[in-house]
Amino acid sequence: MPSDLAVLRERLAARVGEENVTADGAPYAVDGMVPALVVRPGTQHEVSEVVAACAEARAALVPWGGGTAMAMGNPPRRLDVVVRLERLDRVVEFDPDNLCITVEAGMPLGRLQALVAERRERLPLDPPDADRVTLGGLVAANQSGPCRLLHGTARDWVLGLRVVLPDGTRIHCGGRVIKNVSGYDMNKLFIQSFGTLGIITEVTVKLLPMPVCRATVLGAFTGFAEAAAVLEEVQASFLLPEALELLDPAAADLLQPVLGLASRGTFTLVAGFSGSQSTVDRQVRDLEAMVASRAGHAKTFREAESDQAWTAITNVQGGGAPDPKRVVCQLAVPIARTASMLASARTRAAAQGLAATVTAHAGSGLVCAALLPGDDLTEAGALAGLAAVTEALREEAVGVGGSLVLLQAPPRFKARVEAWGKPGSSFATMRRIKAEFDPQDLCSPGRFLGGM
Amino acid sequence: MSNKVLVQELRRVVGEANVIDSDVHLQLYQYDAYLEERRPDAVVFVHSTEEVSRVLKLCHAHGVPSVPRGGGTNLSGGTIPFKGGVVLEMIRMNRLLEVDKGNLRARVQPGMFNLELGQALAPLGYQYLPDPASQKAATLGGNVAENSGGPHCFKYGVTTNHVAGMTVVLSDGEIVELGGMAPDTPGYDLTGVFVGSEGTFGVCTEVVVRIVRQAEGVKTMLAIYDSIEKGSETVSAIVAAGMVPATLEMMDQLVIHAVEKSLACGLPLDCATVLIIEVDGLKDDLEEQTEAIVRLCMEHGAREVRVAKDEAERALLWAGRRGAFGAVARITPSYLVCDGTVPRTTLPLVLKKVAEVGEKYDLKIPNVFHAGDGNLHPLILFDWRDAEQKARVMKAGMEILELCVQLGGTISGEHGVGLEKMDAMHLILSAEDIQAQLKVKRAFDPADLANPGKIFPAAQEVSHAQ
Ligand SMILES: Cc1cc2nc3c(=O)[nH]c(=O)nc-3n(C[C@H](O)[C@H](O)[C@H](O)COP(=O)(O)OP(=O)(O)OC[C@H]3O[C@@H](n4cnc5c(N)ncnc54)[C@H](O)[C@@H]3O)c2cc1C
Repeated sequence: MPSDLAVLRERLAARVGEENVTADGAPYAVDGMVPALVVRPGTQHEVSEVVAACAEARAALVPWGGGTAMAMGNPPRRLDVVVRLERLDRVVEFDPDNLCITVEAGMPLGRLQALVAERRERLPLDPPDADRVTLGGLVAANQSGPCRLLHGTARDWVLGLRVVLPDGTRIHCGGRVIKNVSGYDMNKLFIQSFGTLGIITEVTVKLLPMPVCRATVLGAFTGFAEAAAVLEEVQASFLLPEALELLDPAAADLLQPVLGLASRGTFTLVAGFSGSQSTVDRQVRDLEAMVASRAGHAKTFREAESDQAWTAITNVQGGGAPDPKRVVCQLAVPIARTASMLASARTRAAAQGLAATVTAHAGSGLVCAALLPGDDLTEAGALAGLAAVTEALREEAVGVGGSLVLLQAPPRFKARVEAWGKPGSSFATMRRIKAEFDPQDLCSPGRFLGGM
Repeated sequence: MSNKVLVQELRRVVGEANVIDSDVHLQLYQYDAYLEERRPDAVVFVHSTEEVSRVLKLCHAHGVPSVPRGGGTNLSGGTIPFKGGVVLEMIRMNRLLEVDKGNLRARVQPGMFNLELGQALAPLGYQYLPDPASQKAATLGGNVAENSGGPHCFKYGVTTNHVAGMTVVLSDGEIVELGGMAPDTPGYDLTGVFVGSEGTFGVCTEVVVRIVRQAEGVKTMLAIYDSIEKGSETVSAIVAAGMVPATLEMMDQLVIHAVEKSLACGLPLDCATVLIIEVDGLKDDLEEQTEAIVRLCMEHGAREVRVAKDEAERALLWAGRRGAFGAVARITPSYLVCDGTVPRTTLPLVLKKVAEVGEKYDLKIPNVFHAGDGNLHPLILFDWRDAEQKARVMKAGMEILELCVQLGGTISGEHGVGLEKMDAMHLILSAEDIQAQLKVKRAFDPADLANPGKIFPAAQEVSHAQ
């Protein structure tokens, strides 16, 4: 514990103003742990002052962007100060001619997209909850969405970062050019570092020109096998979908109001296409034919309707307040295992009497399973069932070289099931990195892999 | 430890024939495609991850540094054993271990040449996208270590965007797995951190790369200009029009002359510059895209745009581009390749300024480069026997890098820092930035035995840093 939080509070207030420091930590609890102080620095310089003051007081801190990934990770070992970044939401430089923008880390993704759209550009990263996700949070938690199939993840779009290290030192990584090997690729260190190596205060990303045309094709199948077969066929073809999602019947039903599928309870494959009119038309035609050949029901949305469909699909697993009983996990497996992993999650959940909603970034090897215990189960029974399914799924994923990560789970569940799984052979190196950057173990202590 | 003892012990680990230490042989390992030389104490041919581990354990026990060497084509002195010690010759670890089409991955040993991988994948209908111009002689291990780019990077990204995982042996002999076949491995992205570490974090002994289907179609164009400004303006115009060609490469007149002299690709000798533009993807709109690009080129002052009619014509254009460095090497005793990067829209300006630097120092500076990426390669021609000229070359090179930085760019786009640009690091990094990088170096290689003496300015060597 820091020697004196009252003193720290005064110091922070002296730097960022009284109105930007509060002791009302309840809304910013992390896994039930309530911070003693919440501080809102207004500039990158202030972030560095805040972090330095915390370091001096040996106060443990957790950075907070849009709060969309705060349910991830292990419960923090300690938590004194939450550092909110919402006031760092300015554009530093937009250079549309070079397809590049620099913003402060608290800028919400949705706002950035609206801004660059005015110049017919976009950042092709589409995690759920785009209006809340901040650029800093997106980078720190390496959040992604369906579009990662064609466009990759943060590591493929971030050109530069500014970071405040755990002792308050400010550094920058990368730059604003698209090729850069001047020293180590430090951007990669901070992408997916989960707030354990400091606070990201500024992000430079490259952009893409907006596509002329967009379309979304749904293929609804009564059987899983048909959906999986069409998925494989698309993957082996020349088609270049931007996104390829597989929805289980529960997810498809949740989306029914938006997608308006002909029947309920179908396994639904969703492909997103973008590009020129002729390539989009051709791909829509090809996919519709593939769907029809497996007795599926195809439906196509275009342009604005296509965008609406994607927003709904992207957010089907999240949104709203986290259900205190729900466990959401993400399975990462080799691409060709994706569909079978989705099926397995359904089967295992059903066997334990859990309701499951399972979706997959089917071309990317990621399955998201939301598990909810039935009302008839006791709390202990529910926890046991959830843990059994999660552990079994983790074992299956690890068995094929993958992983299972908890995206959301009640603290009591996290006490039983590790949020990230067992670290591998590179863990000693990761620990050395953490120790080099954060020797006092003050930045998000314990939240990351292996309690790091 | 004396050399003789070291060599004896190494022989015990890898066998008599796999260690060389004779003067004649060591001489072959004292240089690479850069200009410095330093002789190693021994060269060890390695054949497996376990063998690399045993060799490094031995080196670690005796405090002997080591440097992995692939094709030796890097242009920044990366393979020079600056502090002596052992050179690990990776070239025998050159097998393609697995092609997994369903999972879109291939597992490769690091000594395989980039082109060999391409040739193995092509008959299956797949490709590995990063394609450095040196692909015939550059290894995947070297590509990983340098985070190499290539002519197709504008659309497809550089090596780091295509490496999913690897097996690495750290300088103490420990074997670690980074990333893998599945995405988003929990923990820090050490794969991403390792790519581009120039052999200073450890030895990569196996790589998992992303493979993709070959494009359904491709169209290649040659746009010919009487003014270099017009050519570079077109590059920005194409991007501004919302197009993302696979390739936007540029060669100026001096390079064209050199290429024609040695390869005769049919490039016009009387033009100022040519752009090689390639579009690929689904065949449905390639004609459309080609027409639009031809129109843009003409609008921006091209004299003529030729569209390759068939694979043979396309191959000829590419032979010219890929052979450009080699062709230039035939018209000069030596040259220094600069590798600065700038925001694309500043290309016309930076090219003008590079020409001014040439005039100022009385040096010839032809240009061949990745225009879409804003990655310049001014080649400063000189004669290495002329010390005074060499000094001028070094100054001119530094001035070009400074120019790039002033225009918002950086000092290396794809060739790395190595020995060459250690002193230019301060142009783009603060003391704090450098200290942060050194923290990562120490985490991977606490004993500072992996390719020591590179990247960081001498005053900031690993052991001195705190
Ligand atoms: C004519 C010519 C054209 C070129 N064109 C391009 C281009 O278009 N794009 C581009 O990016 N570069 C280009 N280069 C530069 C060079 O080819 C690349 O840097 C290439 O990736 C180096 O590969 P290599 O096998 O020769 O590596 P080497 O030169 O042998 O080694 C390079 C570095 O990698 C390290 N290393 C090698 N193997 C391993 C391993 N297994 N594990 C860890 N570290 C290792 C070495 O220690 C060294 O620091 C060109 C060079 C030439 C001569």
